[in-house]
Amino acid sequence: MAQSMVKEFTKGLWAEIPPFRLVLGLCPVLAVTKSVENGIGMGIATTFVLVCSNLLVSLLRSVIPAKVRIAAYIIIIATFVTVVELVMQAYTYPLFLKLGIFIPLIVVNCIVLGRAEAFASKNSPVLSIADGLGMGIGFTLSLGALGAVRESLGNGTILGSPVFGPEFQPFTFMVEAPGAFVCLGLMLCLMNLIGKK
Amino acid sequence: MREMINMVIVLTVLSAFSGGLLAAVKTGTKEQIEQQVLKFQKAPAIKQILSDVSNDPLQDRFKIMDNDQELTFFVGKHDGKPDSVIFETSGKGFSGDIGLMVGINIDSDEIIGVCVTTHSETPGLGSRAKDDPKFVSQFAGMKMDKNLDIKKNGGEIDIMSGATITSAGVSLAAKKAQEIYTRLKPEIEKQTAQMAN
Amino acid sequence: MGDYFVLAISCIFVNNILLAQFLGNCPFLGTSKKMETATGMAMAVVFVLVLAGIITWITDTYLLKPLDIEFLRTLSFILIIASLVQFVEMFLKKSIPALYAGLGIFLPLITTNCAVMGVCLININEEYTFMQSLVSSFTYAVGFGLALILFAGVRERTIIARVPKPLQDTSIGLVTAGMIALSFFAFKGMV
Repeated sequence: MAQSMVKEFTKGLWAEIPPFRLVLGLCPVLAVTKSVENGIGMGIATTFVLVCSNLLVSLLRSVIPAKVRIAAYIIIIATFVTVVELVMQAYTYPLFLKLGIFIPLIVVNCIVLGRAEAFASKNSPVLSIADGLGMGIGFTLSLGALGAVRESLGNGTILGSPVFGPEFQPFTFMVEAPGAFVCLGLMLCLMNLIGKK
Repeated sequence: MREMINMVIVLTVLSAFSGGLLAAVKTGTKEQIEQQVLKFQKAPAIKQILSDVSNDPLQDRFKIMDNDQELTFFVGKHDGKPDSVIFETSGKGFSGDIGLMVGINIDSDEIIGVCVTTHSETPGLGSRAKDDPKFVSQFAGMKMDKNLDIKKNGGEIDIMSGATITSAGVSLAAKKAQEIYTRLKPEIEKQTAQMAN
Repeated sequence: MGDYFVLAISCIFVNNILLAQFLGNCPFLGTSKKMETATGMAMAVVFVLVLAGIITWITDTYLLKPLDIEFLRTLSFILIIASLVQFVEMFLKKSIPALYAGLGIFLPLITTNCAVMGVCLININEEYTFMQSLVSSFTYAVGFGLALILFAGVRERTIIARVPKPLQDTSIGLVTAGMIALSFFAFKGMV
């Protein structure tokens, strides 16, 4: 039991790390990674939704009729997304404003629905939590890493503090839209170079 | 048939659960969200208008019911004497409402300054109202009987070039503030007098 | 009239939904390997987005706002979009089989296309009027189609070109998308 839990948890951190290995949920990845802070905030919000929806879907997997399962999953996911939205508005208001429309859009993040359908609907609650947590943390790390590259090159800072000294001329290209695509593409290439297991 | 009923029951129970949970979270976070909006959206505008006060206008506030609308007034003190109030009004812009904080000196009935809080105008044109000091500074020092319409409509305010509708929206909000202040002046004076110490 | 024109230009080019707002990127990369599928997806999005834009606007203005239950917006919008997609699928299958043959396989994918949900939310956040919402829904969808078809054209080329192994497929796709986004960048400041 413990062994399979560890396995489900760690696969999300490297072997199937989203969005690099599983190319899903790209919109928030590209849009909110202008800075490390935004990226990690988005990652944590998504992780919360993933874990909660995975747990509930798994608990209800024998009750939900197959025909309406997608509708049921969508209700569950949308509920937790709204909870996150309200909580972020109440406690991390500046981050809430920065992420804006991308918080409600977690609802259409393919990773969340994908894990509910592909994993949680077939596995026990404990394994589903492990899976959700692993995927969520993997997603958070990816967003944080992409945010770090874009923020440091595009703005010369990481988490707001300068990293390259005063001589550094930031290339704003990286924090703008085209830079997001190019940067993600090159990081994907790097992951491919390191090798798939 | 049995399957049909089952489907309906499951979806209904899920939706009811979701609605209940969300209503609970909404009620739980309501006050906190209000405070956050106050702190991050209104506070900067208030500080900009009342830069030299000796108190914290966010703390010294009172509410007046105006018809069916609740208005919040923030009080500014100089040397412990409450002599100015700030409140928010709104006017119609190019797309949606423009929120405007208006500060008024109670002794001289003059506008101290105005500051745009929320707007959703076309970036680059209308959004200048937020950071074009030449435009908003025109309102400072205006008495309550001045016509704050834009010049095209027979008033005294120069528009920002290329942003007529936004300028008119800000003007409208300022005019509304004049009306509200004039109408509620006795009540405002009574409330602020209580805050003197 | 002029205002609507400005809005349209801004939605198609300046704030292009795919290349400037990053919405709808999964189908962007998934369905752009062939020109045919790209065109099919583009058409399906225009169709669903306009309907979804209208229905969600009406729901929000006449149901959620008067009842003061705006916190249910996310939930109701996604349910509206999901059932709308189902409905459109059934309708096309029965009455216009020719169109269904073309669009059918793309319709289920649209439920999780954040471009649709995103535009509906943008319409509400920007407090657009009914006409503005209609124009923005349609022109955002056109912008989506335009970017998708342009991208598919470039991508068909990269498939036959010699690309280093680690860069192949999605990786080169993203870099190409970046270059197209860069060309759309020229529209910034136009409106």
